[in-house]
Amino acid sequence: MQETLTTPSLSGPSQSSISTQDRSSTAGQTSSTGPPPSKPSTIPPPVKSKGLSSRAGVRRMRRIIAEDVEWSLAIVPFLTELCIQHIVKNFQNNPILKQLLPEHQKKVLNNLPPDLPLTVTANLIDDENYWRRCCLQRWPVCHVDKHGGSWKRMFFELHLENLLKHFIPSTTDPAVILNLLPLCRNYVRTIRVDQFLPPVQLLPPPQSGDLSDSGSEGEMEELATDHYQLGDLVAGLSHLEELDLVYGVKDCGMNFEWNLFLFTYGDCHSLAATVKACHTLKIFRLTRSKVDDDKARILIRSLLDHPALEELDLSHNLIGDRGARAAAKLLSHSRLRVLNLANNQVRALGAQSLAHALAHNTNLISLNLRLNCVEDEGGQALTHALQTNKCLTTLHLGGNELSEPTATLLSQVLSINTTLTSINLSCNHIGLVSHGFWGWQDNKTLLEFDLRLSDIAQESEYLISQALCANREAARQRALNPTHFMSPITAKGPENPGG
Amino acid sequence: MNPRGSLEVLEEKEDSAPILGPSIHSDNPQERIQARRLRIAARLEARRREALGEYLDGKKESEEDQSKSYKQKEESRLKLAKLLLCGTELVTNIQVAADIREIHRRVEEEEIKRQRLEKLENEVKTSQDKFDEITVKWEEGKQKRIPQELWEMLNAQQVHCAGLIEDKNKLINELQQELKTKDDQYVKDLKKQSDDICLLLERMEEQVKNVMKSFRQELYHIEKAFETERQELLTSNKKKWERALQTHNARELEYLMNRIKRVEDYEKQLNKQRIRDCEEYNSIKIKLEQDVQILEQQLQQMKATYQLNQEKLEYNFQVLKKRDEESTVIKSQQKRKINRLHDVLINLRSKYNKQVKLFQEENRSLTSDYKRLVTQFKELQKAMRHFAVIDDKQFQEIWLMNEEEAKDLISRAFDVDRIIHMQHLGLPWTAPDFWFLRNVGPISQQQKSATQILEEVLMQAEEEGTEESESESYLDLPKQVSAKTTRKILMLLCDESGFLIEKKLLGLLLPLEKDECYMLRLDAIFSALGIENEDDLYKLVNFFLKYQAHHLPPPQEQTSLISASETVEQLVLQGVKSGSLAEGEPQEQEPPPSPRLIHPNDVLKILEAFVMGLRKPRDFQVPVKLLKVVRDDSKDSEYWKALTTVIPSTKQNLWDALYTALEKYHLVLTQRAELLVENQCLERQNTELLQLLQQYLDSRINSELQVPPTQVFRVPTK
Repeated sequence: MQETLTTPSLSGPSQSSISTQDRSSTAGQTSSTGPPPSKPSTIPPPVKSKGLSSRAGVRRMRRIIAEDVEWSLAIVPFLTELCIQHIVKNFQNNPILKQLLPEHQKKVLNNLPPDLPLTVTANLIDDENYWRRCCLQRWPVCHVDKHGGSWKRMFFELHLENLLKHFIPSTTDPAVILNLLPLCRNYVRTIRVDQFLPPVQLLPPPQSGDLSDSGSEGEMEELATDHYQLGDLVAGLSHLEELDLVYGVKDCGMNFEWNLFLFTYGDCHSLAATVKACHTLKIFRLTRSKVDDDKARILIRSLLDHPALEELDLSHNLIGDRGARAAAKLLSHSRLRVLNLANNQVRALGAQSLAHALAHNTNLISLNLRLNCVEDEGGQALTHALQTNKCLTTLHLGGNELSEPTATLLSQVLSINTTLTSINLSCNHIGLVSHGFWGWQDNKTLLEFDLRLSDIAQESEYLISQALCANREAARQRALNPTHFMSPITAKGPENPGG
Repeated sequence: MNPRGSLEVLEEKEDSAPILGPSIHSDNPQERIQARRLRIAARLEARRREALGEYLDGKKESEEDQSKSYKQKEESRLKLAKLLLCGTELVTNIQVAADIREIHRRVEEEEIKRQRLEKLENEVKTSQDKFDEITVKWEEGKQKRIPQELWEMLNAQQVHCAGLIEDKNKLINELQQELKTKDDQYVKDLKKQSDDICLLLERMEEQVKNVMKSFRQELYHIEKAFETERQELLTSNKKKWERALQTHNARELEYLMNRIKRVEDYEKQLNKQRIRDCEEYNSIKIKLEQDVQILEQQLQQMKATYQLNQEKLEYNFQVLKKRDEESTVIKSQQKRKINRLHDVLINLRSKYNKQVKLFQEENRSLTSDYKRLVTQFKELQKAMRHFAVIDDKQFQEIWLMNEEEAKDLISRAFDVDRIIHMQHLGLPWTAPDFWFLRNVGPISQQQKSATQILEEVLMQAEEEGTEESESESYLDLPKQVSAKTTRKILMLLCDESGFLIEKKLLGLLLPLEKDECYMLRLDAIFSALGIENEDDLYKLVNFFLKYQAHHLPPPQEQTSLISASETVEQLVLQGVKSGSLAEGEPQEQEPPPSPRLIHPNDVLKILEAFVMGLRKPRDFQVPVKLLKVVRDDSKDSEYWKALTTVIPSTKQNLWDALYTALEKYHLVLTQRAELLVENQCLERQNTELLQLLQQYLDSRINSELQVPPTQVFRVPTK
């Protein structure tokens, strides 16, 4: 910096002589302010007093300072610098950014404070660095990967989530959220809300603003307590792709009341309409919300023939056979790729209907039925369906009270099926099925086969793990050179153990 | 575990595969097939790599060196994969454990729930019974009148109710107890879960740490392996390099020594060569000097001759020059002459051209004239022919008319003569017979058809048998041929050439008479041979005779067919002449050669020759026709004169006498006729008078009379 500022008359010859002598010292000095005349223009003033005092000492010791490189009468900042500072200062009232040169834009953005009102910044600033600073300032932990790697998107998504989380129906002004809509509509793609507060009951004396308190007090009334209706918001967001909702209250502590976790029919209907209207939606998750059969049916009916939906997650709910049947219908009336019904109450009947739908489905890739009660009857139906299905790659049947008949059937099916890569049968009572039954040894596609805590013999477990290892190795080679994996694999047969 | 490394590894594997794989010379056919497949795959792979521009050679060199690092990499990859797998398993174990616990809990819960429900149902049942009992007792109590009893009963009721309530309370207590335990358990579960989560977190952290550590370690190992490999490679390369350098130096030295040695050799050889060259040079020099001397002498001689020659040539040159001048003069003269002649030639040529043009034009005009004349001539000819035909016709018609008239007159004359002879003279009258009376039409040599002649000949022959009136026949046979010979020849022909007659006709001819048969046969033969008219027939007969004549004395006259035809033509002309000359009777000049001499076998040959010859004369028909036009009218006047002298003068004299006599007779007769008329008148008067008389006699007056007149004389009519 000093090279540009120093006048040639003063430092022309001396500079070269000194620059060799001590680089570090000059570098250190540049951080602090220079001589008095340049003082007003320098930006960081807080260290000034200390630096000055120390500097003053140095000065006093060395009277002759003509050789000091940075000593200069004319350390006057550039006009552009001044302008940029001014712009930064008055950015809130008069945002000027697009008219500037790129380098200046960068400077301005680097110096903008992260707490500017969103109305100013939202549609103006696209710089990731600025939004990164905003995020880091507001939230200590930031997973930008969860938001598509975009800090701006992350900021808006988290901001919206925060507002939704703390929205109290009939108390908070809905305009708070709707005002944000024009600002964030282009950036928000995901809404993840793991808490919906119930409306505050007015009968008891108004409580303090604490959210959990209001929830705990309101429960006595047993009124139909609908939560915030997402309809308007979702209709406004043109790029929304993921909806991840939990109708429940977090951190209620000792104020727990069942009422807090109520997913009412009103909520259900409004949510169904919302989801139906949102044609860009790809992922829809509604977990831990006490969705029972009827509500599940309402929701699923609205999802039939949805143009974009790919993943449906209704885990940790109370869905039974009828809900499962509705889901099975959805399988044949949509392009669903992932279906998660973990930890519900699906029984044999529901599993059979799912299996029926699965047998001729060509879209579904993953099916999760963990912690249900499918039992052997349903398990056999599902395995039968796998005989004709050519699409499913992941199947989770953990904790489903399955036993030997399903396992034997599955082993036969696996020798035919060539698409399935991952099966989870943990926490079942498969029992001591002799390893000869595992007919899938000629299966080359299976990569994962979870049989933990399912009472099988250690020996067969070992053999299975060996086979899986081989399959994984083959898959890896296939992935590395997909063009000619046929001949190399056969060729490597004798060579591999040696090498 | 960078993907590039593993990729390289993979490729390396592929490279080494065919080397370590099954060999083509193996005994096992399967293995050989496998080996060939591998070879093909390797080739394809190599081609692909070349296409991609990969450094195949470099790779092959570093193959062995890389195997160590590759091994290290593979090892660490496997280790790390295992580590990751185990780690995830370890972490997920917690979830699985929680799941199974949950399942167990659910099962238990279900069991407990069921038990509780049972219990509650039982309780409800028993309490209902108790309650019913109590209500029944209330009824009983209402009927009780005695207060003590009532009190007792009430007490009892109270006790019962208390029991009931106690039961209920107990149940409630139990349930509450259960709830409390559940609460406790919930708290415990919560704690457990938090513990689990803590454990999970711990494990995850540990896992992360482990993985990081091991990754770092493995990375370090791999790096180390690479480093060592590189070092080894470096040292080995350095060694190799040094070795190569040493060998190079040694070789260089050797080369140098060799070179020095060779240089010395060359120097020696050079010296030797130099000495030898010097000697050689000297000897050659001497020799050459001698040569030079000889050549100088020769040169002097040559110079002398040269001078002589020069002088001679100069003189020649002078002479030639003069000649040349002369010749140029002549040449110019000649040239001039040539020019003049040339001019003349040009003039002549132009003249000639003009002439040619002139003549051509003339020629053209003449040819056109000629053409015109030819056409005119043709037209004229046509007209002439036409007129000739018309004249002929007219002539014939006039002739016929005159002839008819004459004949009429003649016939009248004859009639008159006959009447005179028969009636007046009472003499028998014979009609005079003259040749010209039978003639009809103009006198000419009309061609008679062959058949007619034939008929005549035959008839004549027949007649011959009875009377020898050959001369009478006006048949004008050629003089040299008698009808007899002709007949014989024809008979012979008829016998010999039966093949020319159709079979059908033969069948038809059988029943006929001999002569008729001959006649028809000959007719058929002639039609087959193309003989149409008289001439042809005579030609045939003549031909026969001539042939015979020629053949009897064979060397005398061997006439060809053409000469024969000529003679035939001559004969025709002769015939015409003779026809005109020989008026009535053709005399036999010579006895004809006997046709018997003609051998029947020759007949066919003669016939063939004749048919060949006949073809040609046909072409001469036109001149014959023209000849015919010139008809001679010498005979005509004779004819006509003859016609006038039909009645001879003697007869005319007779007639004159007769005429006078008859006239006299006529006079007598006329007188007599007058007398007769007179007589007739008188007769008529007589009859009239008779009639009148009769009339008178018949009248009534007579009757009235006494004596009728009738009685007086006889009536002549009755």
